[in-house]
Amino acid sequence: MMRRLERLKSWEGFLLAILILIVVFNIFTTPHYLQIQNQINLFQLHIEKIIIVVIMTFIIINAEIDLSVASVMGLAGCVMAYLFEQGVPFGWCLLAGLMTGVLAGLINGFMVAYVGLTSLIVTLAALIGFRGLAHVLLENRSVGNFPDWFDRLGQQPLIGPFPLAMIVFFVFLIIALIILQWSGAGRHVYIIGNNRQVARYSGVNVRRVKMTLYVVSGTVAAIAGLLLAARLGSMRGDTALGTELEVITMVVLGGVSIFGGTGTLFGVLLAILIILNLRNGMGLLNITGEIQTGVIGVLLILSVLGPNIWRGVRDAWNRRQRIQRMHVGEE
Amino acid sequence: MASVEAKAPVLQIRHISKRFDTTQALDDVSLDLFPGEIHALMGENGAGKSTLIKIMTGVYHSDEGEMLLDGRPIRVNNSVDAQVYGLAAIYQEPMVYPDLNVAENIFISHRSQGVIVNWRKMYQEAEKILAELDVNLDVRMPARGLTLAAQQTIEIAKAISLDVRVLIMDEPTASLSAHEVEQLFKLTRSLRDQGVSILFISHRMDEVFEIADRVTVFRDGRWISTLPRGEITHERAIRDMVGREIEDFFAKRVGQRGEQLIAVRGLNKENVFSDINFEVYGGEVLGFAGLVGSRRTDVGLALFGVEPADSGEIILKGKAEKIHSPEQALRVGIAYMTEDRRQIGLTMPMSITSNISLPMLHQYLSRFGLIQRQAEEATAEHYRDRLSIRTPSIQQPVAMLSGGNQQKVMLSKWLNTRPQVLILDEPTRGIDVGAKAEVHHIINELAAQGLGIILISSDMPEILAMSDRILVMREGRQMGIFTRQDATQEIVLTAAMGQDRSPLETA
Amino acid sequence: MMQRVKRYFRPEQLRELSLVFLILLIFLFFGTQIEGYFSPRTFNRVTSDVAIIAVVAMGETLVLLTRNFDLSVGSIVGLTAFFTGKLLTFNPDLLPVGALLFAIGLGAALGTLNGVLVAYGKVPSLIVTLGTLAIYRSILVAFPAGTKNVVTQDLPQWLLDLGGMQLFSIGEFDIKPVVAVGLVMLVIFQLVTSYTRFGRRLYAIGSNPEAARVGGLPSQRIVLFAFILCGAMAGLAGFMFLVRYGNLTPAAAQGMELQGIAAAVVGGVSTLGGVGTMIGAMLGALMINLLQQSLLRWLVISTFWVGALLGLMILISVTIDAVIINRLRNIWTQQGLEINPVDETKVVNEKESHDA
Repeated sequence: MMRRLERLKSWEGFLLAILILIVVFNIFTTPHYLQIQNQINLFQLHIEKIIIVVIMTFIIINAEIDLSVASVMGLAGCVMAYLFEQGVPFGWCLLAGLMTGVLAGLINGFMVAYVGLTSLIVTLAALIGFRGLAHVLLENRSVGNFPDWFDRLGQQPLIGPFPLAMIVFFVFLIIALIILQWSGAGRHVYIIGNNRQVARYSGVNVRRVKMTLYVVSGTVAAIAGLLLAARLGSMRGDTALGTELEVITMVVLGGVSIFGGTGTLFGVLLAILIILNLRNGMGLLNITGEIQTGVIGVLLILSVLGPNIWRGVRDAWNRRQRIQRMHVGEE
Repeated sequence: MASVEAKAPVLQIRHISKRFDTTQALDDVSLDLFPGEIHALMGENGAGKSTLIKIMTGVYHSDEGEMLLDGRPIRVNNSVDAQVYGLAAIYQEPMVYPDLNVAENIFISHRSQGVIVNWRKMYQEAEKILAELDVNLDVRMPARGLTLAAQQTIEIAKAISLDVRVLIMDEPTASLSAHEVEQLFKLTRSLRDQGVSILFISHRMDEVFEIADRVTVFRDGRWISTLPRGEITHERAIRDMVGREIEDFFAKRVGQRGEQLIAVRGLNKENVFSDINFEVYGGEVLGFAGLVGSRRTDVGLALFGVEPADSGEIILKGKAEKIHSPEQALRVGIAYMTEDRRQIGLTMPMSITSNISLPMLHQYLSRFGLIQRQAEEATAEHYRDRLSIRTPSIQQPVAMLSGGNQQKVMLSKWLNTRPQVLILDEPTRGIDVGAKAEVHHIINELAAQGLGIILISSDMPEILAMSDRILVMREGRQMGIFTRQDATQEIVLTAAMGQDRSPLETA
Repeated sequence: MMQRVKRYFRPEQLRELSLVFLILLIFLFFGTQIEGYFSPRTFNRVTSDVAIIAVVAMGETLVLLTRNFDLSVGSIVGLTAFFTGKLLTFNPDLLPVGALLFAIGLGAALGTLNGVLVAYGKVPSLIVTLGTLAIYRSILVAFPAGTKNVVTQDLPQWLLDLGGMQLFSIGEFDIKPVVAVGLVMLVIFQLVTSYTRFGRRLYAIGSNPEAARVGGLPSQRIVLFAFILCGAMAGLAGFMFLVRYGNLTPAAAQGMELQGIAAAVVGGVSTLGGVGTMIGAMLGALMINLLQQSLLRWLVISTFWVGALLGLMILISVTIDAVIINRLRNIWTQQGLEINPVDETKVVNEKESHDA
């Protein structure tokens, strides 16, 4: 606990400071910035992304990666849309979309956990392959005209001012928080990510944990894809193209090491808020979407480069201190 | 054989000392190496041999002392310096590039190579070097899949290509078959005859006596003796290596044997160990003695399910059990504490509490799978008291503890699994004397409570003092089991080194 | 005899041979299915596209060999293509060589950033190139220009001619400059990776980074250089892209990095480093593009299967490499240490002198 508080002082505290800066700037430009509705709009634009960020946090802490999340989102939505187009009852379409995610997760998980391939190349192949399948289904078309209740769920508030997607996110976040920080499974995820050997030598079933994580990732991605379809009211083969960059950035910026073993959902939550507010601020400055993505790219690199440079400087400093001390000792 | 002392030494090591925190690894050590000699360096684990090697190759810097090359002082700060001065080392585990072929492996780190690679010339030169060594290796083959011995040859060839002057061979024979050792010796002699000075580190007495021209013995970081091979005997060497009195601060054990907890029959793992047979009884400590490469750890790993054996039986309570994973081992009551704390023993950034509860985490979960912190902490406190773990708080990350306390945390972790048989692999390695005594005390207590303990240790006095019986292994084979009365340092060491003189089995 | 065969044909080469075989198979199969498949037009189309992807794949291979990734090449290709086009639009009198050098130089500069961050900033290449993928693409979009897109009307004539020009022909089959460039690059880089110290060290670093460090190889410099070359190749590909297509939007070459990596991986380049050749990368590019182009013309299944198949091909290639090729490799080189037979009398004499 002591250690956690210390870390809070360093990285999460740093994030908090940045967040405050950005929010203050935004308030300056838009007086009604902190109004509830505005904030909800802020979240809604990217809500499916941040749902995935939650599960991606688990995977990266586990020292793996899942580059295919955006493609699974798209594929799940496309499967649903395609079946709907063919006249299948909508409920079954939704189920099929969901199952697509589960299946995708099973494939990824099997390749990584049991065949033992590197998660980078497996999920890269999945990224390409699943996106391709989505295009096979919907080709160049856009499918829409979903049942009204579906569109309503996606676009209108459900409980109070909060739409379904936001509620899903909150629920999911809370469950994830509990599991990651307070449950045995969460601790296993950390330990495997920190040192796979120790986990194995201590009787942890490493394969099962990894498989589970990928299945969950696929399922969540599918849910996110369906929510996106509801919000947009339509589906295309290239929906959700390229969102993996932002998802990974939010996790890494939140203090989760790409090598695994460290990081908290608190930090990731702060990172999410930073990026959302940053995007909003940039939008207010009339910076286009693509350039915003570029800024996100800079953030991604800085969030790893920054600590590296800091550590390098600190080590050089310590070394000099040690040498000085030695000289003093000799006198 | 020409008198070696007539020439000038190529490398002189003068008064080198090196300290690590609490341990004095090397204390005022001096040594001369002459060209064209095979100079053996002997000593037990912890005698300072590997520290000296690391200083010679630039991995460590000495605190005091200097090295003279051809009479001139040199500083070896990194591997590049070592290469420039002609100092090379080959180890038990050769470092080759698996995807490059043999010739390339030899020449890849040459600094003097041109921009263009002349393959034909490289193959020719590689073949020439290998021919000089009388070795028949296809230089076009990739290094991957080559046997360990062949890879070592590559390392030697590499050293030769760099005009090595002092070649350090650190336990090169530990993983080789007898046939391969013969071939390595031919190479080594050939090198010597070409004027290279060879520092040959080995535990194996018969090998040392076969190949060395002079023998130096270290003990506890100090130089003890240097003698030409003709003047030294096995007894003298062992006496120099062992020399110390057995201190009385090891609590002497009085064992009372309980029931048989585990029986191992005919345990085999291809190319690792063969035909291991023993029993462990409640209330006793069975020591596993042996030298580097004896494969004692592998037997432990087989019992714990991490690297299961190929054949043989592990019998607990009369039933032959299948142990193919640590989970299964824990379930039948076998626990294994690794010799390596940092890499595989503990999760360094995590708290003491988390480390202790890890193997038994499922027992600390509430109905919903949440960790019951209070129960965890109670367990940690319990062990903190029982084992006297010195720490301001049980939530401290274990990385911040001293070596001895880290060891205690590891021990707590495994004790918490309520094992019947506890395998301890080098439990007192790298910790100070006081903590060592504490660990021994704890081991005694555990035995008194009815646990069966397998103690793997390279610390001879420790094994002799703590064990009721001692099983000696050499190169994966069981050399014998001795009772406490019959075992002396000389006898155990002799068995570990494979001399055929002692009576093998007394227990 | 077997020894001789084993000597000169490693499992990797076997793999390349089977690729050639597969390509022939695909070629023949689609020949029976599609009308006019063997026409010069198809040939030109396919070879032009393959050339571009192959150049990208070859650059990517340099990076992959060192156990790194470059996901930003697609953005580099797009950026260099677009900017070169804009440059020529505003400076129509610029010499062709100038434009080419500009493209390559720009690519190299972009690659330098990648390399510095990976080699010296110690940021994992996945992170760096994922970031620069976005950054470079956003620079492209942000570039203020009169008209957003590059259009053929604005481009100098020689550029447009370059696309249709033939260097020489065999009957009706043309070798276009673009294709020639691809072949030249193949030869150059195959030579570089096989015959230069730099090239061999790429393999060493990927094969055993720890040994490279301990053995004193200048790993950082070499990795930096690999990224610079990869960027330069992407820049060259950008120029070729401009020549081929003429009309460009800021979305040009989006996703090309995936094709480049796929080509390399299918061609036998390992993502774990240390394994792979330029020829393999080229064969991979050929196979993938051939398959794509063939499916485009094959009316039996939808053209959109191409993407899905690409992912499947990568997965299969990697699995085969991991499971089969690795095992083959270990079996292939099972050889121990052989010392020439000993003269028995010599041994006896040695033994005697020892005990004396």
